[in-house]
Amino acid sequence: MGEDKTLEYLLERELRVVNSYIASKRKSLAELLREEHPHVLTLSGDVHMFRKSELILAKEVIGEDAEKLMLPIYVELIPAQTTTTGVIREEIATKLVSTILGINHATPLYVYPIQLAELRRKIGTLIQYVVSPETLKEIGDFEEI
Amino acid sequence: MSQQILRLARPTKIELIRLRRRLATARRLHRVLRDRLLILTQELVALYREVVESRLRIHEEIIRCEKELVRTSSYVAPWIFEEFSNVRIKSFSVVLGSRIVAGVRLPLLEHEVVEGHYDPSAYPITLKEVSECYEGVLRNIIRLAETEISLLEVGREVQKVKRKVNALENLIIPRLRATIKYLRMKFEEREREDKVRRKRIKQILTRKARI
Repeated sequence: MGEDKTLEYLLERELRVVNSYIASKRKSLAELLREEHPHVLTLSGDVHMFRKSELILAKEVIGEDAEKLMLPIYVELIPAQTTTTGVIREEIATKLVSTILGINHATPLYVYPIQLAELRRKIGTLIQYVVSPETLKEIGDFEEI
Repeated sequence: MSQQILRLARPTKIELIRLRRRLATARRLHRVLRDRLLILTQELVALYREVVESRLRIHEEIIRCEKELVRTSSYVAPWIFEEFSNVRIKSFSVVLGSRIVAGVRLPLLEHEVVEGHYDPSAYPITLKEVSECYEGVLRNIIRLAETEISLLEVGREVQKVKRKVNALENLIIPRLRATIKYLRMKFEEREREDKVRRKRIKQILTRKARI
């Protein structure tokens, strides 16, 4: 019974760590561009800053939709068969990401590890990875052994 | 991989259910950690490449800037250099912030340059080029500082997470699986014994009934 509780506690803690840097309140690109030191506060109380150069790049790509793009962009990690894939579900965010990666626009947009690496290089501070508890529900209680 | 079986109080069906739930939790935890490890490893590799490239770039730029400086100082008086350096940049500041990558807090350094007001025609154009060259070097050094600290932090976190992933992969999950397999075998054995016992009892009862 003790080990049950330990594992549950560890899982809860890891989910909290991996999702603790989610912004408590996201800001639009336009709002961030107006700030002197663009940043958001996370759930854990930390500060996540954005690079101005990356915000300017996003503005150049998005143009008039700067008010609609909420930052940071959440890339939800979903474990595929062999590699972990990211998925972006917001319309404006997918438009930005697909333009930066030079791929066709789709919502939701599936992003593979090599594309995640490129995103990290170009707009690293604008994206955040989240692990959705929904994806963990796929792992049922009963595994065939 | 560990094939050890966990010590159980009693090999009952309730224990089997508990073990299966524990295995599901362990698998979920493993998945979360594995995803996090993937992101951190990608970040680590990218940071390492950036550090190596930055260092090479800075060395090359310093050599280039020094050459430019020596060439310029051959026909520009030292007092002009000093005057220019006082007016060229009004202020140079570095903002230290933080960014978060996969749960790890990393430094973020942003520099801000406010140019001074001066008459460009009053100074040789090469002075501005030398100044911009060194500004570029400084920019890259600031970026390198950020990248190196980030590399250390991410490296530490990768070690921690990898240990947890390995413990789950090689110890906890295999042990749980082995114990579940052992319990199922035990139940099947019990069922077989029960079957045989019932058959024998039936035979005995049939024989008694005949008599």
